Amino acid sequence: MSTTKKYWKGIEELQETPEFLNLQQNEFAEELPVDEFLGDENLVDSSTNRRDFLKFLGFSVTAASLAACETPVRKAIPYLNKPEEITPGVANYYASTHWDGMDFASILVKTREGRPIKVDGNELCPITQGGSNARVQASVLSLYDSSRIAGPMKAGAEISWEAADKEIIEKLTAAANQGKGIRILTSTVISPSLKAAIENFATAYSTTKVVTYDSFSYKGIAEANKAYFGKAIIPTYSFDKADYIVSIGCDFLANWLSPVEHARQYASTRRVSAEKKTMSRHIQIESVLSVTGSNADKRIAVKPSQIGIAAVSLYNKLTGSSLPTKSLDGKDDSISKIAKELKNYTGKALVVCGSNDPEIQKIVIAINQYLGSYSTTIHTDITDNTHKGNEEEVNSLIEEMNSGNISALLIHGCNPVYSLPFGDKFKAALSKVDLSVSFSDRADETASACSIIAPDSHFLESWSDANPRTGYFSLGQPTIQPLFKSRQVLSSLLKWSGAELDAHDFIASVWENTVYPSTSSLKSFSDFWQKSLHDGVVIINSAQEDMNEVSIPEAVDLNKAAGIISAEAAKSTGTELVVYTKTGMGDGSQANNPWLQELPDPISKVTWDNYVMMNLDEMMEKGFNTILGQEQKSDTVEVKLGDKAVVLPVLAQPGMPKGVIAIALGYGRTAAGKTADGVGANVAGFIQYKNGYFHYNVSGVSVSESKGKYSLAATQTHHTMMGRQIVKETTLEEYKKDAKAGNEDILFATNLKTIGKDGKATAKELNLWDSFENKNHFWNMSIDLNSCIGCGACVIGCSSENNVPVVGKDEVRRSREMHWMRIDRYYSSDMNEEVAESEGIGAIDKFLKMEVPSSDDVEVVFQPVMCQHCNHAPCETVCPVLATTHSLEGLNQMTYNRCIGTRYCANNCPYKVRRFNWFRYNENAQFDFNMYEDLGKMVLNPDVTVRSRGVMEKCSMCVQRIQEGKLKSKKNGERPKDGSIKTACQQACPTNAITFGDFNDTESEVRKAWNNERKYQLLEEVGTQPSVFYLTKVRNKNAEEA
Amino acid sequence: MHQFNFRISLVLTMLIMVFFAPTEGFSQDGAKIFKGNCASCHKPSTQKLIGPGLQGIRDRWPDEAKLIAWVKNSQEFLKTGDAYANKLYEQYGKSIMPAFALSDEEVIAVIDWANKGGDAPAPAATADQANTGGVSTDSNAQADSDSYFLVLIGIAVLLIILISVLGSVKRSLETLVNEKKGIIVEPKPVLSPLQKFKYWSSQNKKIVAIASLLLVSWVLKLGWDGLMGVGVYQGYQPEQPIKFSHELHAGQNQIACVYCHSGVEKSKHANIPSANVCMNCHAYIQQGPNYGTEEISKIYAALDYNPETRVYGNNPKPIQWVRVHNLPDHVYFNHSQHVTVGKIECAQCHGPIDSMAVVEQYSPLTMGWCINCHRETEVKFEGNDYYEDLHKKFMEDSDYKKGDVFTVEKIGGLECSKCHY
Repeated sequence: MSTTKKYWKGIEELQETPEFLNLQQNEFAEELPVDEFLGDENLVDSSTNRRDFLKFLGFSVTAASLAACETPVRKAIPYLNKPEEITPGVANYYASTHWDGMDFASILVKTREGRPIKVDGNELCPITQGGSNARVQASVLSLYDSSRIAGPMKAGAEISWEAADKEIIEKLTAAANQGKGIRILTSTVISPSLKAAIENFATAYSTTKVVTYDSFSYKGIAEANKAYFGKAIIPTYSFDKADYIVSIGCDFLANWLSPVEHARQYASTRRVSAEKKTMSRHIQIESVLSVTGSNADKRIAVKPSQIGIAAVSLYNKLTGSSLPTKSLDGKDDSISKIAKELKNYTGKALVVCGSNDPEIQKIVIAINQYLGSYSTTIHTDITDNTHKGNEEEVNSLIEEMNSGNISALLIHGCNPVYSLPFGDKFKAALSKVDLSVSFSDRADETASACSIIAPDSHFLESWSDANPRTGYFSLGQPTIQPLFKSRQVLSSLLKWSGAELDAHDFIASVWENTVYPSTSSLKSFSDFWQKSLHDGVVIINSAQEDMNEVSIPEAVDLNKAAGIISAEAAKSTGTELVVYTKTGMGDGSQANNPWLQELPDPISKVTWDNYVMMNLDEMMEKGFNTILGQEQKSDTVEVKLGDKAVVLPVLAQPGMPKGVIAIALGYGRTAAGKTADGVGANVAGFIQYKNGYFHYNVSGVSVSESKGKYSLAATQTHHTMMGRQIVKETTLEEYKKDAKAGNEDILFATNLKTIGKDGKATAKELNLWDSFENKNHFWNMSIDLNSCIGCGACVIGCSSENNVPVVGKDEVRRSREMHWMRIDRYYSSDMNEEVAESEGIGAIDKFLKMEVPSSDDVEVVFQPVMCQHCNHAPCETVCPVLATTHSLEGLNQMTYNRCIGTRYCANNCPYKVRRFNWFRYNENAQFDFNMYEDLGKMVLNPDVTVRSRGVMEKCSMCVQRIQEGKLKSKKNGERPKDGSIKTACQQACPTNAITFGDFNDTESEVRKAWNNERKYQLLEEVGTQPSVFYLTKVRNKNAEEA
Repeated sequence: MHQFNFRISLVLTMLIMVFFAPTEGFSQDGAKIFKGNCASCHKPSTQKLIGPGLQGIRDRWPDEAKLIAWVKNSQEFLKTGDAYANKLYEQYGKSIMPAFALSDEEVIAVIDWANKGGDAPAPAATADQANTGGVSTDSNAQADSDSYFLVLIGIAVLLIILISVLGSVKRSLETLVNEKKGIIVEPKPVLSPLQKFKYWSSQNKKIVAIASLLLVSWVLKLGWDGLMGVGVYQGYQPEQPIKFSHELHAGQNQIACVYCHSGVEKSKHANIPSANVCMNCHAYIQQGPNYGTEEISKIYAALDYNPETRVYGNNPKPIQWVRVHNLPDHVYFNHSQHVTVGKIECAQCHGPIDSMAVVEQYSPLTMGWCINCHRETEVKFEGNDYYEDLHKKFMEDSDYKKGDVFTVEKIGGLECSKCHY
């Protein structure tokens, strides 16, 4: 039966109006604007007729197709005079030094055809031992930053060096003659040569004084040490000799003093194996979940104002003294337990504190003295020279500037207008200085307010040296000619002080007079210089006076110190704010580096932003959105303190006490360049300057809803393992009893009578595939979850080695980040199968609750995940064009030129490690990052293809390095030595968590790791048999904590 | 007639063989050492280059010990105050012959070889063609198949003529017979050729079907070949900014490839030599046999070098050579792997460079071509510890059969990630 229903498009059709009937006859409702696109009014008069048009069309089509058939002409332009040491196609490595006011590292720079393309740690360096962190790894891209200025500038216009030099020398001379002050405001100078050059300068201009300012201050430690030892020193720490580590608000693995060194030392105490079944115990007392805190065996969350109280309580409980203190909001028991345990570790313990409050640091020194840490885990004879900033001097400098007594100010290595809490005051004072010179490489916040910018060269373009600690020297050499008309600070200062010396000669002469006489091994200075240049490092024996025997002097009144701490804590009101530095962004000096912007923060996994971190429950109470997701926008809040206010999105952060918020420094740049400007907000203004110290913990902050919505781009939006065994974990006690603890075989019930007693089998025994022997090499990778601290250096190392594009915030938000490796971070959850069963919770509720991280004492695990190079790879079987195949050496190969972009492989990958090029990320104005610019493209590794749109990509296990290593061995007629081929992630790792090698080499480290009982494969039960495997995480928890 | 054609083809083949045969072989040690060390300054004839021609050198140096000492370290030898050596030194503009780390035997081998004027032009088909042999055989094979094809076409044409002649003879004979018998043959209706063809095709549908099928296949094959040829630039022979002749340098002067292409043994790139390498010889040789000073002066212009005053200026301009061999960006090719480890001769891929005045792309450089070679080439495992165990495992493999070759394919030479990453 047919329907009689009638559908009509509109009331006009129903009524059949004449207009409608008329229109119905026409194809288009309105007359087409033919004239508009034919355009030319004289077209009718034109002598060009249709035939001509067709002729032209035919001709151009033919010409175009003929042209397409012609061989494209590609030029090859050899050197005119080839430097002897360069062979095109072969990389050269140069030892150099990285120092940017935050991170010191002796480095090895890889150059290809004269361009530096990769920075890695120098293994000869006893401090970093070949390790590096994300900021050091990324520093090579900062070299190719198009926001750097092309040459010296005055009042926004480019001038020549001659003109700049002339004006500066004239004004400096005038200032010195008039007796007016000249100041050099600099970040800590660790270069002996730069120090000498400044001395020369001060001799030439007698009114010169140096003011040291670090964006993150360690003055509290130095002053506390001064109270004890009479010298404002920062000692060095041996975490590797500590069996019991207590960190009070100190992120020593990622940000504090010398994080790479600490990470390496720390990891060495955390590794366990059949031979070494001991590990250090690490307690973290902190307010904001840091990288260090997330690695702790026990973490105690306290409010920032109670950090000092915690230190005093620990001292009291440990020594039985009764310094004035307060209660610790229910955490006093925990402190007592720690104190009890600590007593057993005299001489093997280490207590560190990240506070910049000298009173708290005094208490910490007292604790360490009581524990006998000095000269065992803390060394006062070898001092750390990298952070000597003094904010008090900066403050009085501003006063001097305002008084008009300063007529010249040179600013080097810092950006006070941006990073000072009173940056605006500094900017105002700057206008009162006649000559202000910035050495910044760009017209940043400070430089643009200066009268002249005399751009410093990038450290990869400069000669440099460093003396970061007693007895240790590092030499830096240029690896490329300056890209712009920049000149290194050393040369500028020499020039202005009238010494016409080249930087290299000057450094050599300084070394000849200072470093060389302390060494005895080499017969001539030129030999010594050559060797130092080659090695990059020089170690001389020049231990200073060891101060471990000094007892607590009368001057240090611990009672008074504790009194001040308690009084300060009592003053705390309202919400407390912690201003901290992120592992990637640091103090924001490299903010214009897209690699660092896109590096997910180890803890929050958020890229491209800073944000307000807040306790989960508190957020729920206030009705803020706690879920991160593509379509879930975060609520914004206004954080206010006095006249300073910022509006930022708010993010739920487990592990934070209620009433505390935290915001990262380094964002909200306004003049750093196109990548950094406008990302996040600057919170330097919240740093409190009190009694000559910067305080990064602030109370009395108000947080109010600002009714805004904001999209944060996070790479991980689910936070727990939902009861699955993705990261396997056990405790040290369990591990001692049974090495396979926490890593029990997963058995499947089968009906096969042949397997086992009752037909139960492991995934490996159940197999559809034929076995296959890897005759030559069998490349395997082991990742020790006990060593991995989650810092993210490997991610940057991988991006740098493999030309991984930066995609920008919007694409990351759409889960289209291209990083070949990610570091998964999982929080513990209070809900698990057993609890659900005992409480009778249904399946849906159970899983919903599983996704909520533990409210208190949250535990964190990190797991780096890259392509697992499955030997029974699910991706390979579904590719319709065989673009992903398996090699005889066990690698899962990805062939870009064969890929047609069906994405079946990514869908079938259980590990979700495949990345699809949704766009062409290179030479595309929409992705205006380093791969769009000629300059930024210079960082690309020429041995790795730059992928185009529509193809899949993934970790190749650095196959280019494998091939290079194999070729080298073949040429030498030998098998590759274990460890001679390293993947980029392995090389970048500061803790040696990643081991790579040939499984067929029975002596190889990776083979040994395979035989470790802690070994397991990710999602073993899927039967993919990956070549990448993990070692169980072991926590040193005692019985009641476990 | 057939025999006649065969004879022609035979003669053609011989001619081509003679034409393509290598002019010289160079397998003796003396020749090799000479090319590696001496050829840039000396010729194995009486002709002078930077240094004197070496033919008859024994007559000039009666004392062989002195000669050896002179060759090994000329500067040291000059200090002995030898009159003849000092005379030579003065005569050749005080250009210093570098010291060579050669053994006495090697120096003697060079002198032996050069004294007799190098290799006398070798007869065409001697067994002594070790190095260029592979190439010449290939070109002979190519020439052979070409000539056979021509012969076949010739035969076909002759057969067609024969058939038509026989046909017309048959028709005339039939007419004659019919006339004799008095049969009057009605003249056939006059049809246009097109109508004839239509009529014929309607009567012979099977033939038409087969012919159409063949025609379509042929057109498709042409199209396929055309498409497969897109991006293949075999025979590409661009004009270079300087008319550098490999025929002269590598052929006549026998400068070893590695002398200029110094990266070939250690890098992925063979390297186009930098201009300072040219100047090793052309600081002295300012005139060439082909273009006089014209082309050589372009090197000087690039370096801003004044040959009269021998002074370098400060306005050098790089030479923009045109790349002859272009691989796509997604291909990783490493010369040192093939030359140092694989011990492949340059000529295998680059062809008879020593006879090319202007270099052309000799091989197709297609992936199929690479893969074929990887399938066929045996791994040079002897004396290389890297391959020792691997080769043993290959031999012990249960699938191994006698006659199996340990080819590059067997160790993964066809895998994607060997060349694409």
